[in-house]
Amino acid sequence: MTFFTVVVRGLLRRPVRTGLTLVGISIGIAAVVALVGMASGYEKGIGKQLDVIGIDVVVSNMSGGILPKVYEASLQERIAKLPHVADTTAILMQMLSIEDAPMMMVSGRQWGGFAWEKLKLIEGRMPRDGTEKAVVLGRLAAEVLKKKIGDKVQIEADELPVVGIVDGQALVENGAIILSLPVLQEVTGNEGKVNFIDIRLTPKSTKEEVTRLCEQVKEIFPAGRAMVASEVVGTSQGFRIARAMSWSTSILAIVVGVLGVMNTMMMTVFERTQEICVLLAIGWKRSRIVRMVLWESALLGFLGGLCGVAIGVVGVKLLTTLPSIRGMLEPDLNPRLLGTAVGIAVVVGLVSGLYPAWRSSRLTPSHALHG
Amino acid sequence: MKPFHLAAALGFALAFISSAAEPTAPMPAGELAARLSALRQNGTSYVRVKMDINGAKKEALQLQIKERRSKTATDVVYQVLWPKERKGESILLRKSGARAASGSIFIPPNTLRVIDDLKAPLLGSDLSYEDLVEDFFAWERQAIVGTEAVGGVNCQLLESKPGKGERSSYGSVKSWIDTRRMVPLRVEKYSGSGQLIRRIDTTRVVSDAGHHIPANLTVSGARQGSSTELDGTRIKHGVAFTDRDFTTDGIKEIVTPRGSQD
Repeated sequence: MTFFTVVVRGLLRRPVRTGLTLVGISIGIAAVVALVGMASGYEKGIGKQLDVIGIDVVVSNMSGGILPKVYEASLQERIAKLPHVADTTAILMQMLSIEDAPMMMVSGRQWGGFAWEKLKLIEGRMPRDGTEKAVVLGRLAAEVLKKKIGDKVQIEADELPVVGIVDGQALVENGAIILSLPVLQEVTGNEGKVNFIDIRLTPKSTKEEVTRLCEQVKEIFPAGRAMVASEVVGTSQGFRIARAMSWSTSILAIVVGVLGVMNTMMMTVFERTQEICVLLAIGWKRSRIVRMVLWESALLGFLGGLCGVAIGVVGVKLLTTLPSIRGMLEPDLNPRLLGTAVGIAVVVGLVSGLYPAWRSSRLTPSHALHG
Repeated sequence: MKPFHLAAALGFALAFISSAAEPTAPMPAGELAARLSALRQNGTSYVRVKMDINGAKKEALQLQIKERRSKTATDVVYQVLWPKERKGESILLRKSGARAASGSIFIPPNTLRVIDDLKAPLLGSDLSYEDLVEDFFAWERQAIVGTEAVGGVNCQLLESKPGKGERSSYGSVKSWIDTRRMVPLRVEKYSGSGQLIRRIDTTRVVSDAGHHIPANLTVSGARQGSSTELDGTRIKHGVAFTDRDFTTDGIKEIVTPRGSQD
């Protein structure tokens, strides 16, 4: 009988208890995978959208949470004149409840601006001009709303015909209703207002020049902020809250997992007092006993981690098919996250095993005689 | 593990979780009601709401609400934006001082009638017309009848009863008030004989312009096996309405207010 056979047998001695502990850890790890994967996916989705459109700097007033407050569109002219600005485009983005669907992104874009460039037409056509009261739908938005070319979409009080379905090459774009800026301004009663001015920089702009540009934007728009696209997600309060919430919920789930494993390992040590004492009597060192308990708890954590990752991945895939989530979120279940989740489970197992291991190391062969 | 160790660990975790539900200092009933009433008299606002009616027939409605509230008068307009078949259905309600509320309903293309029963359901939902204009926090008789936690939040239980000259079909209203955020997390409305008529639960609270407001509500109890969910999707304050918006002619058109602030 090898050392590892003893370890495995220790866990198999009480299969129901071991199984229940595994379920506990698995649920905790599944929560980590699901919550962190969702939050990270949303962040990456926004980042990818900015990348696809080719935005270098975003000007917004982010004090409003997930979506920024509206401000005067006339600011665009002044920003366009700043040094190192190659191009600008204005966007009014709103989260609106459309027909019987939950909240959806509705994006009003300056006609002719670069935000239209990367939309690939799958079906139909683009609006004829900036005044045509018509929309194109991202392909996921078309699915969620069950609309095809020629149907009408009601935004606020207006019914607008669907003239095209597009592939926006990013989840946020594909889940959006896209129309020209003046039309959305009129429909939502936001004439002359936008909440994003996107900037493309002149080639080879240095980091210092971009920093100076952001400062100049701040001077002409004190309530707002210019941010390099790559920093938008990281500095958004809404995203930070979402990230903090996903991790804090995960930590609570992990704490419960630690208590579960610790309880199981303590019971194992108590039940096997005689066995441990006999092992000590036949020459096992205390360190080997400690290692045995730690290996058992780490193995328990590892198996729980694998099961948890599987449950988390399947659960998230199922969640994203729900009508209220579909098209809004693409979870980021990257190998690093999955590996981290398994790693956390092993650490949880090891930490939970420390106290039981210490208790087992305090035993002496004479304890076996006491029963 | 010894029971003490497990209890200590669990105690720590529970203390951490329940720290959000610390009790706040009690407030006299009159002051609490006056503050809540003042928060409702917030000038003009425009609200977009999705209403899901889960009764014998399930129905989703997109509504726009225009409100003009002051200390002495309340004007409210509810208009159906979607579905297409009901688009344009509009309700106008008005209440001035202690007088009974009055209202009109417009059903396109050209049916306009006076609402004679304010206890009737609003657009087939579990809310009544009366619920939209009645400010029970402004009633004369207010009393704190206890404290109770709702969803882990400690609330003061405020009981409101109409005074002499105040007209309402309800005999009393109990509200569970989160005094930290000044938001009712639950409201129960009773008949004169003490029978529960309607219960309104706040399921989501949002922060808006420095105040907390209920964004999602579930209304139940008015009809067997039926409930209505209200999902507030957008609110604008300081909206420039015209007087016409609150007339029987004005409700025949659907107009989205312009130039207001988000």
